[in-house]
Amino acid sequence: MAEITTSKNAAAVEETLLPQRRRLLKSAAVGFGHLAFGALLAQDAGAAETSVVAVDGPVAPKQPHLPARAKRIVFLFMKGGPSHVDTFDPKPLLDRDSGKPLPFDLPRVTFAKQGNLLRSPWKFKQHGESGLPVSALFPNVAKHVDDLCILRSVHGTNPAHGGALLKLHTGSDQFVRPSMGSWLVYGLGTENQNLPAFVTICPTLAHGGVNNWGSAFLPAHCQGTPIGNASLASSAAQVKHIRNSRLSSRQQRKQLDLIAAMNRDHLKIAGSDQALEGRLSSFELAFRMQSTMPEAQDLSEETDATQKQYGIDDPVTQDFGRQCLLARRFLERGVRFVQVTHSDSEVQWDQHGNLYQGHTKNASEVDKPIAGFLQDLKDRDLLKDTLVLWGGEFGRTPTAQGTNGRDHNPHGFTMWMAGGGTKGGYAYGATDEYGYYAAENKMHVHDLHATILHLLGLDHERLTYRYAGRDFRLTDVAGHVAKDIMT
Amino acid sequence: MSHRHDHYEVESSRRLSLGPRFFLAVAAVVCVVTFGEVARGDGQPAASAAGQSDKESALLEFFEKDVRPLLLRHCYECHSGGDVDGGLNLDSKVGVANGGDSGVAVVAGEPDKSLLIEAVRYQNRDLQMPPKGRMSDTEIAILEKWVRLGVPDSRTEAQPGAVRPTGMSIEEGRDFWSFRPVADPTVPDVQKADWVQTPIDAFVLARLEERKTRPAERADKRTLLRRVTFDLIGLPPTPEEIAAFLADESTDAFEKVVERLLESPQYGVRWGRHWLDVARYADSNGLDENLAFGNAWRYRDYVVDSFNDDKPFDRFLIEQLAGDLVPGANRETKTATGFLVLGAKVLAEPDKEKLFMDTIDEQLDTVGKAFLGMTIGCVRCHDHKFDPLKQTDYYALAAIFKSTSTFGDTQTGVIKHWHEYSFATEEELAELKKVDAELAKLNSAASSFKSKATAKLRDDAREKAALYLMAAADFSPDASLTEVAAIAEPLKLHPRILHHCRLHLQYHADDPVFAKWHEFRNAAGVTSDEAAKQIEAHYRLLFEKVEAALAEARQKDAKATKLDDKILEAARAALHDPSGFLAVPPKPEFAFDETTLAEYYRLMEEARLAESNAPDEPSVMGVADGTVLSSLPIHIRGSHRNFGEPVKREFPEVMRTSTVRPVLPKNQSGRLELARWMASTQHPLTARVFVNRVWRWHFGTGIVSSTENFGRLGDRPSHPKLLDWLARRFMESGWSTKELHRLILSSSVYQMSSSNPDETIAEADPENRLLWKFGLQRLEAEQIRDSILAVSGRLNPELGGKTIPLRNRQFVFNHTSVDHTKYDSLRRSLYLPVIRNNVYSLFSQFDFPDPTMPTGSRNATVVAPQALLMMNSGLVMDSADHLASLLMRETLDTSRRVEIAYERAFGRLPSESESKRSLAFISELTSAALTDAASVDAKAEQNAWSMFCQSLFASNEFIYLR
Repeated sequence: MAEITTSKNAAAVEETLLPQRRRLLKSAAVGFGHLAFGALLAQDAGAAETSVVAVDGPVAPKQPHLPARAKRIVFLFMKGGPSHVDTFDPKPLLDRDSGKPLPFDLPRVTFAKQGNLLRSPWKFKQHGESGLPVSALFPNVAKHVDDLCILRSVHGTNPAHGGALLKLHTGSDQFVRPSMGSWLVYGLGTENQNLPAFVTICPTLAHGGVNNWGSAFLPAHCQGTPIGNASLASSAAQVKHIRNSRLSSRQQRKQLDLIAAMNRDHLKIAGSDQALEGRLSSFELAFRMQSTMPEAQDLSEETDATQKQYGIDDPVTQDFGRQCLLARRFLERGVRFVQVTHSDSEVQWDQHGNLYQGHTKNASEVDKPIAGFLQDLKDRDLLKDTLVLWGGEFGRTPTAQGTNGRDHNPHGFTMWMAGGGTKGGYAYGATDEYGYYAAENKMHVHDLHATILHLLGLDHERLTYRYAGRDFRLTDVAGHVAKDIMT
Repeated sequence: MSHRHDHYEVESSRRLSLGPRFFLAVAAVVCVVTFGEVARGDGQPAASAAGQSDKESALLEFFEKDVRPLLLRHCYECHSGGDVDGGLNLDSKVGVANGGDSGVAVVAGEPDKSLLIEAVRYQNRDLQMPPKGRMSDTEIAILEKWVRLGVPDSRTEAQPGAVRPTGMSIEEGRDFWSFRPVADPTVPDVQKADWVQTPIDAFVLARLEERKTRPAERADKRTLLRRVTFDLIGLPPTPEEIAAFLADESTDAFEKVVERLLESPQYGVRWGRHWLDVARYADSNGLDENLAFGNAWRYRDYVVDSFNDDKPFDRFLIEQLAGDLVPGANRETKTATGFLVLGAKVLAEPDKEKLFMDTIDEQLDTVGKAFLGMTIGCVRCHDHKFDPLKQTDYYALAAIFKSTSTFGDTQTGVIKHWHEYSFATEEELAELKKVDAELAKLNSAASSFKSKATAKLRDDAREKAALYLMAAADFSPDASLTEVAAIAEPLKLHPRILHHCRLHLQYHADDPVFAKWHEFRNAAGVTSDEAAKQIEAHYRLLFEKVEAALAEARQKDAKATKLDDKILEAARAALHDPSGFLAVPPKPEFAFDETTLAEYYRLMEEARLAESNAPDEPSVMGVADGTVLSSLPIHIRGSHRNFGEPVKREFPEVMRTSTVRPVLPKNQSGRLELARWMASTQHPLTARVFVNRVWRWHFGTGIVSSTENFGRLGDRPSHPKLLDWLARRFMESGWSTKELHRLILSSSVYQMSSSNPDETIAEADPENRLLWKFGLQRLEAEQIRDSILAVSGRLNPELGGKTIPLRNRQFVFNHTSVDHTKYDSLRRSLYLPVIRNNVYSLFSQFDFPDPTMPTGSRNATVVAPQALLMMNSGLVMDSADHLASLLMRETLDTSRRVEIAYERAFGRLPSESESKRSLAFISELTSAALTDAASVDAKAEQNAWSMFCQSLFASNEFIYLR
């Protein structure tokens, strides 16, 4: 069966094969790791553990639409909505006018009742050659400010966590749609056939849960593979069913040989069928994953110095540090999309009250690990083609909620990027003088998505999937690429 | 910023240079305004007044020099070319004149009435252009002037896309296959007449004979029995059932099997589940806030019963859309309307109007796909791009649903509740009040324990405040918690509080209360020990003074909280600020010691379990009529903030079967009339869509393979005449689903083998659209699990009832992400909870449909995690153990054991070589285990049998149905 090709004419071939491929993927996708069946049969099944086989399935690396600046992406997701005016978007007027009412209209709909302006409890200082300001909350990340591309004009549409998380992860806060990671895997395939193409470490199960990494109507191989969830320590995070608690590897090998023999007999009766053949190889891949996955997750291979760099030696930073280090290990093994989530069983970044204490705790948990992670990517020369994205589902209001908190603010907030062909030491866009609304070079979540896809070599208008009679896109009918932020 | 300045200067100088022409321009206004709607005409009016050519050319020059570059710079990116945003084209005169989806963009001469001007002024939060940021005031002024001057435009070239694309017209639509009335086709003549058992066969055979090929042979009896048993009840046939069927040589042996299966209550479990796919059934809301649908199971039971009772489908439809309005409405029919409530909703949406419109959209989308095979949801924002559905059709239906209440009056915090019908008696309600009070007590026990423990920590820290400040001088802000702990512990300080204290001092370096701290610490020529002592002494004294002053103040006024002395007051405030330098971590794991934490968890768990196990109010999810609206305005581009023309309640125009329009009741939503119209035998879609679903569920592919889309982008029927013939027979039988099964199952088409020796047809029609064989089918998630349980003798066949282990409206997950849902029940998979946002992993891996949208055709993907599940999951391994024990109990004869296992798992006996291979595997693994183990493993043999049984479950033959 003619499959996707990786030749230089891939785009052209892709066009002609598209309808056929879509149908195939829809009805009987064979992933992740659809291995060439002939190659598999040819080898001694007993030696399959070390074999490398030609890949021609839907997850094979694919030629992007455009020259790609980044090959892979990691999203450092700050669940709950970190405050931009207290981290990366200083507002002198907010400081000056603290206690006074906001001098312009509030949004028509706000999540909670808003009080007067509230100054930031943290001071900002300029850092690096770029002189970009970062607040005292992020002293370590600040050291890398010349690598950051700070997006100060991001805005979304939904002021509640659930809607905002879904919007940020899937582009839709009304329907279940494929997540951005799934779109990237659909568009780009993956470079390591023995690992999932899209991994999400310790994701939150609330506010959209699985839908935030689900593939919706895209083929199953595009879905994210969760490793643990936000209720578990990252040291305990595992892929479901990755281990057999009862059988030794040798016993299981024998068992797989028996299954393979039975399946080969069955092929003779049932006739050649792509799904049946794919299933034969899926067992081999699963068997290999049982060793590649724990190997990828084995942090004992890392030096003490590296572990320290990520803060794994400190109880405050160890959990998120471990997530970041896991992310680096997946990225260097060719995983296309890695998400790490900083969440918490109690407060997250959602400081409706007690902004000061909550943000202090949260920032101290992530600051050092993120800085260590950026440094490590640089040291390994991975930052140049790895896109790092940092941010939450929205920002927070410059106005107070209660006496010392801030409400949700989807109207203007900050995310930042690093590496992957983005300009370092660069601030893009702006909110108004108090930080309530995005004002200059506004970047809607759809624009963010279009820009991310572009950095990875995909044209958001051409990355489409026909489902239920309609062509779907990550960016729906919107999205503009912010070319200004690219090198 | 400098960028903007440049702009400003350029604009200003240009305006100055325009000065001399200004009078001309103003003079032209009068003339243009008298011509009224310049922008809507053919673009000539400005020239039609003779002798105005000078003025005209001035106007056009103004456009060329000022307006056109501005449009190019700010607008063309989205509003030019073929596919424009908002349907608005600004790259041609015609485009400007046509306006966009929101209506007329410019009213010549009237900037204040022009949407374009409103948008660029950035005063309406819902309409701001350009989206990236506001233009400069000068630029806005130019556009205002342009409109005021009558929208002069020098562009003459026609741009592509200026004419907006539209879908099918109503007239074209009436001619489209799916909107034509259901025909009554004659059964075709065929050559191989002896193959024809039912007219279905003739329709299929005729197509095959056209292609000069022949259908596959009849499947053998074992294959056929396995096929039809999985098909009708979702389980494999038992060895006894196989023996009985093999022994029955009568001509109607197969019909008897079909009758037996249709009579089995397990039939409703299997076919009810098919309908639940379409109904996007779930036991929780999912989407943003995941509350338990604690009463959804009543709808599930209703569906299972309806299939078992062979409820006529027209009745089934009417009950689900309008069971609250049908004559004699009762608990059962109201339960049916749960269909409309089951959708995933953004329950915490703060904009209620948006929530209501989004919910209506979800309902219309579901109703359209489920019953009509139409993507009505596409029409919310614009006329359908492909199908003959107009926005007027959408809002005519939306008016009916806007007159319906889907939400109740209660809520949990900001989370709105859906509507339910209660059937509770007075006594039950009184009993529930007690239960609620008991739960509230348990919850407050947990939270008050937490706040007391926190207060105690706070008091303790305050007593040691000076010590904290002293210890904090001993390390830098970036010290790790381990280092901090080493300092804190000898002093009996809380490491996390101390850590925070140090950060606080850093962040508040300029707080006068802590000035001395910094002064002592940074003093030159002082050892750190000395500094520590100074800090401790200073702050001990200060805080003692504070306490003394406070005590004194309280003697005067018992309620005194503040001190008059400014310095002491500042110190008091710092000392008593719960989020100040001695803040206690809000996270219990960080704040409490092990014993306290364990007690807190115990209280929380007690409260949670009590809630999970508490009885629900006996009620059902269902809709009711609300405030009846006779019409609803079109929402331009789907926005609930931008209204167009009102539309009266109606049915979609292209599907109307009569030009005589129905009268909808003034005091009812109109849902009943809508449902009756949909369920009428004249409706072109309803019967076709349902018989096609049934066909899909039997054969794995529909006659129309896009089961939810009978529109232009959907697939065309492979056998259109057969589809109409089936639809007609179905309606003639009184919409009986069981009759439809009998009709289909008794056909030769259904009874074909899954392989056909004719290779040319396999090449010409690889997807088997012509039905030259019975297509191979992968078992669905539930069938896989249920058959593993059944084959190993563990399945509990009990029907009905509540199975979700949560109270109605309880959080499935809150922010903690702890998954409390259990899937260890041994009941049929239909009864496992369907938790949106976190579907059971076996389900999600094996293509269980997304329970937020109607699905008539499940996928059958092959991915490696499925293999991991078969290799390593408890369910599969425990079942293999059970089957192994069962085999070992049954007989000592190992060959016989293999036979039993094969027959239970595959419905056939093993061949000689299979038997030999199985036995070799078992003896090899038994002896390998014995040699490997240090001591003799008594269970080695049992384990080997278990591994063998697991291999059967994992094999292709087990999960692919021929």
